[in-house]
Amino acid sequence: MITFKNVSKLYKPDTKALDGISFHVRPGEFVSIVGTSGSGKTTLAKLLFAEEKPTGGSIHVGDWDISRIRRSEVPALRRQIGVVFQDYKLLPKKTAYENAAFALEVAGAPASRIREVVPQVLKIVGLADKMHRYPRQLSGGEQQRVSIARALVHRPKIILADEPTGNLDAITSREIVELLKRINDVGTTVILVTHDRDIVNAMRKRVITIQNGKIVSDAEHGKYHLG
Amino acid sequence: MRSLLRLVKFALQSVFRNFWLSFVTTSVLLLTLLTVNMLIVLNVLADSTIKSIQDKVQVEVYFNAGTSEEIEKSVHGYLQALPQVKDVAVIPATQSLETFKSLHADDPEVLAALDEVGGNPIGDSLLISANNPDDFEFILAALDSSPEYAPYIKEKNYADHKAVIERLSGFSDKVRLGGLGLAGFFALISVLIVFNTIRVAIYVHRDEIAVMKLVGAPDWFVRGPFLLEAIFYSAAATALMGVGATLILKFLEPQIQSFFAGVDVNLAAYYWENLAIIFGAQFLALSALSMITTLFAMRKYLKT
Ligand SMILES: Nc1ncnc2c1ncn2[C@@H]1O[C@H](COP(=O)(O)OP(=O)(O)OP(=O)(O)O)[C@@H](O)[C@H]1O
Ligand SMILES: [Mg+2]
Repeated sequence: MITFKNVSKLYKPDTKALDGISFHVRPGEFVSIVGTSGSGKTTLAKLLFAEEKPTGGSIHVGDWDISRIRRSEVPALRRQIGVVFQDYKLLPKKTAYENAAFALEVAGAPASRIREVVPQVLKIVGLADKMHRYPRQLSGGEQQRVSIARALVHRPKIILADEPTGNLDAITSREIVELLKRINDVGTTVILVTHDRDIVNAMRKRVITIQNGKIVSDAEHGKYHLG
Repeated sequence: MRSLLRLVKFALQSVFRNFWLSFVTTSVLLLTLLTVNMLIVLNVLADSTIKSIQDKVQVEVYFNAGTSEEIEKSVHGYLQALPQVKDVAVIPATQSLETFKSLHADDPEVLAALDEVGGNPIGDSLLISANNPDDFEFILAALDSSPEYAPYIKEKNYADHKAVIERLSGFSDKVRLGGLGLAGFFALISVLIVFNTIRVAIYVHRDEIAVMKLVGAPDWFVRGPFLLEAIFYSAAATALMGVGATLILKFLEPQIQSFFAGVDVNLAAYYWENLAIIFGAQFLALSALSMITTLFAMRKYLKT
């Protein structure tokens, strides 16, 4: 599903954010990527959805070689990878429903499909009863659920979440991770970038640890072991 | 089709969300069109004025008194045979004298000389009209250069008309050049204003654009609304110009007609006949201008 081969990323002038990263993710896996601040986690995520290009090495997602992806192919890739961020990136003037629908609208989906899919995904994330609220009328956890719902509308093969719990308290964080787990249970590959020790330890799933742009451990049923 | 409707929706939202900016943009585009249309009007007026003067231009050739009818006939025939000549009329001596006198009414020396001579020193005359006023020069030269006829010809009156036409077209050329400069100036202002409007529109929609890219909207969907916005402004300006021009022409046509008394101007008719071409071309040119500007603005501010 996802293969990184000896990937490096150099930011000008002299920041080596990633250095010789190699790993493989099988379809349906749940992988946590952990590391201290500045270790290169977000950079890795950006490479994965073609926000940045690697300086060296190759990245394959499905049939795509995204280290060589053409600009015109990026939208199609992004419909295969649902992304979730710490700051939700919701549009404040749109309701939960409209925010989720927006992702389908701009990709040219028919109205009938929007009417069908959007309530479904909002139900999956547990917001069926609040779908006509605006972001400011929702809690942080609920807003993050909306952004997860939006990430799901294209029925992506992969969900990529960069610090999705960064702004949430412990209990809410656990609920969000539970939601990601349920999404993973029905077959979606989930990549979770985080530095939340409790979450990672409770998960008992694969953990890749990076430090200074290098993978220092890659363990099935891993633990968070960094200072 | 579905996507096109959504593009239109996004573009309209952008237009109305920054209503004042849209208003200013449309106004400046309208000003540009206004200068262009003033140029067109000027052209039509100048052309029809010159043409009507040219139509009236006739050249009179006066024979010396006592020129034999034979020679007059032969000159008449000679002129008539030239392809440049439309018509030649013979005017008998008495009438020629009257015309000659009235032509020199403000020239007492000539009148005094006429009196002194007594009788009618002027012979018959020929009134020549040409197919094309530019040909008079040739016709008169033909007369001058034929040794059989030249000695019998006393006077030709043409030079004055020519000067008037030359002065008029010189003047209208100058005004045209000025108008062209003004139109160019407003076009430049339009480019700047459209550029800024699209820049602001991109700024206002930066969050939407970021989300669009995140969720995999195709590039043309991100850019489409801004190009459409540029087209909307052009269409609005052209439509306003069209309505404005119609109203102005309706109200001013009588004034224009009476100002150019005797000249067949018919500005409104000209516009009606060429409505589709005039405003179609203006719309296309304006759209092209504003879309190219928008492309530049997007290149600068809509980085991927
Ligand atoms: N656009 C950029 N230009 C230059 N340097 C950058 C850029 N983005 C990140 N970096 C640098 O690359 C390194 C890795 O950054 P990255 O954002 O991947 O870290 P991170 O692991 O996500 O950290 P955090 O946990 O704080 O989010 C850092 O040293 C950072 O300063
Ligand atoms: Mg980060």
